[in-house]
Amino acid sequence: MRSPLRTPLAWFNLTYERRRLLTAIAGVAFAVLLMFMFRGFENALYDSQVQLLKLLNGEVVIVNRIKTTMFVPEQFARQRLYQAQAFDGVEDAYALYTTTANWKNPETKQVRPLRVLAFNPAKPVLPLPGIMENRAALELPWTALVDEKSRAEVGPTEAGIESELAEQQITLVGTYSLGTDFASANGNLVMSDQNFLRYFSNLGPELDSRSLRTVDIGLLRLAPGTDVDRLVAALQRRLPNDVLVLSKDDFVQKELDYWRNNTNIGFVFSLLTTMSFVVGIILVYQILYTDVADHWAEYATLKAMGYTNLYLLWVVIQQALLLGVMGFVPGYLIALGLYQMTANATGLLMQMTLFRGINILLATIVMCLISGAIAVRRVQATDPAEVFG
Amino acid sequence: MTDTEPGAGMNKNSSVAPIPSANGTATAVAEPVAVRIRDLNFFFGQGDLRKQVLYDINLDLPYGQIVIMTGPSGSGKTTLLTLIGALRTVREGSLSVLDQEIVGLGRSQLVDVRRNIGFIFQAHNLFDSLTASKNVEMAIELTEDWQEKRERAVEMLTQLGLSDRVDYKPKSLSGGQKQRVAIARALVNQPPLLLADEPTAALDKKSGRDVVTLMQKLAKEEGRTILMVTHDNRILDVADRIITMVDGRLETDENLAQFVSSHDPKSLDRRMFVM
Ligand SMILES: Nc1ncnc2c1ncn2[C@@H]1O[C@H](COP(=O)(O)OP(=O)(O)O)[C@@H](O)[C@H]1O
Ligand SMILES: [Mg+2]
Repeated sequence: MRSPLRTPLAWFNLTYERRRLLTAIAGVAFAVLLMFMFRGFENALYDSQVQLLKLLNGEVVIVNRIKTTMFVPEQFARQRLYQAQAFDGVEDAYALYTTTANWKNPETKQVRPLRVLAFNPAKPVLPLPGIMENRAALELPWTALVDEKSRAEVGPTEAGIESELAEQQITLVGTYSLGTDFASANGNLVMSDQNFLRYFSNLGPELDSRSLRTVDIGLLRLAPGTDVDRLVAALQRRLPNDVLVLSKDDFVQKELDYWRNNTNIGFVFSLLTTMSFVVGIILVYQILYTDVADHWAEYATLKAMGYTNLYLLWVVIQQALLLGVMGFVPGYLIALGLYQMTANATGLLMQMTLFRGINILLATIVMCLISGAIAVRRVQATDPAEVFG
Repeated sequence: MTDTEPGAGMNKNSSVAPIPSANGTATAVAEPVAVRIRDLNFFFGQGDLRKQVLYDINLDLPYGQIVIMTGPSGSGKTTLLTLIGALRTVREGSLSVLDQEIVGLGRSQLVDVRRNIGFIFQAHNLFDSLTASKNVEMAIELTEDWQEKRERAVEMLTQLGLSDRVDYKPKSLSGGQKQRVAIARALVNQPPLLLADEPTAALDKKSGRDVVTLMQKLAKEEGRTILMVTHDNRILDVADRIITMVDGRLETDENLAQFVSSHDPKSLDRRMFVM
């Protein structure tokens, strides 16, 4: 067997003791998994909050000036949409009505809050496959579509299910796929604006009854080639000051900024991710240090023979990198499985994108390099003269 | 004893004054020697803790000579070996190794000097994760000979009687076999100078003897200089010359016959050297 290349000492040292190698890989994989999960939750938080907004059909969004986030239940006058429709470049204007209502799980009879999204089914306000197909059924009174990704507490979600919404009869006529977020409670129900009136226009005296005269989110469809920013500026200037006009991208960004800046959740998850990173550094350092300490006489002998410090540093760094890659693969695969499980259980948007995978891979490599850099000092300090003794 | 080229000065050495006096130095300068030490002092520690370990060492090791260094524990033998091996920096005196003055050399220059020296330690210091051949190849790789490293390693191991063990890892080798692999690693680049510190200490009688005989054979064939520290009386016969270190000073410098006669002949049976 000819091996014309340099003996891969790092590889042999790392793989020589199988048990130790497996423990090391498990340690790195665990740190990788933790980073993936915390990052995943953090991203899911942000992704989930804006997934509905991103799907809404329209380039420009109009909301009440004080509706700083989807949580704030403030409406604006529908009149503003008619006014906006008069602007050059605006092709159509859609009204989206939202509210939160109690839903009775048809099986357990438990009552859970759901978010209701209502609009004119004749218009492609939320053009999802399940919604577009069932537009006719939505026109029927006392009907709605349910999100098949609703939390399990909502109960079965097939068409034909009968239950109660806001203490009134309701029939589910189909499903669509969206997912939950922090503002949607257990899931989203889609219904026609007429049904919205049926359910929410005659609430008790202590509750705010709804009408179609006030809108939660207004959407403008623009003619192709319209300059969105200029139109937004013009609308904002000329419409009364009680509304906020934003491009949809800005609206999504504003929602993200709200979550980033006004909640500690992002910070907490970043902290947890960082802690996993540090735990990883300590684990890998421990592994590398043990290797160097166990083999110090051999390493010192190499130095005596004429190997440079640089070569030995490279051996340790190689071990660190190998550990990083070998630990990343199982960590990544387990994370994929857990993402799926978490998404199924909570409806949160746990997305593993290539970018995010590479991100954590780089973090893992940096993690191992830092450990290597610390462990390397032990090799550097190894005095070849001490081997004689 | 074959008279090889580099060993030409060998016969003279026993007549050279063991510790040349100031005027004796002139005679030694003329011929090239593997190691030349002049007025060397060495200290460990600094300040109040500074402790002198070697005093006024003067020593020449001609090419091709096998020299054994003995002396009580703590007398400074290992320290002298590490100095010759360019593993520690000398500050006082002159130390020339393989015709190069190493006092005052920088770190990386010392590394270059070391590549021409074979080291054998009391422990074999082989990588458990590497086969015998791979351990030896690690040394060959220092010479950047990638193509023939395997052949050269196998050949060297074969010379040391390990032809059927080349692909064994140290765990499956006996103590003597491991030390022979270590010797193969030290010799494979054919270093002109070999430094060994109690190479047989961890071995039983027979394998210790075998290892030293092999070292002697290979050294003589190739004209290598060997400086070996040992307490092992049974292997003294391989030496051309025996020097004794006591309390940091070179005490005696004799050939084998002189050494045997001056060191209590009753306890040291001459016959054991005859084999
Ligand atoms: N790294 C060191 N630091 C300080 N003192 C040392 C060190 N190594 C050896 N010594 C001291 O130097 C003296 C000579 O040691 P050494 O050369 O190992 O002797 P030998 O090899 O003859 O037994 C001893 O007194 C020992 O304690
Ligand atoms: Mg010693």
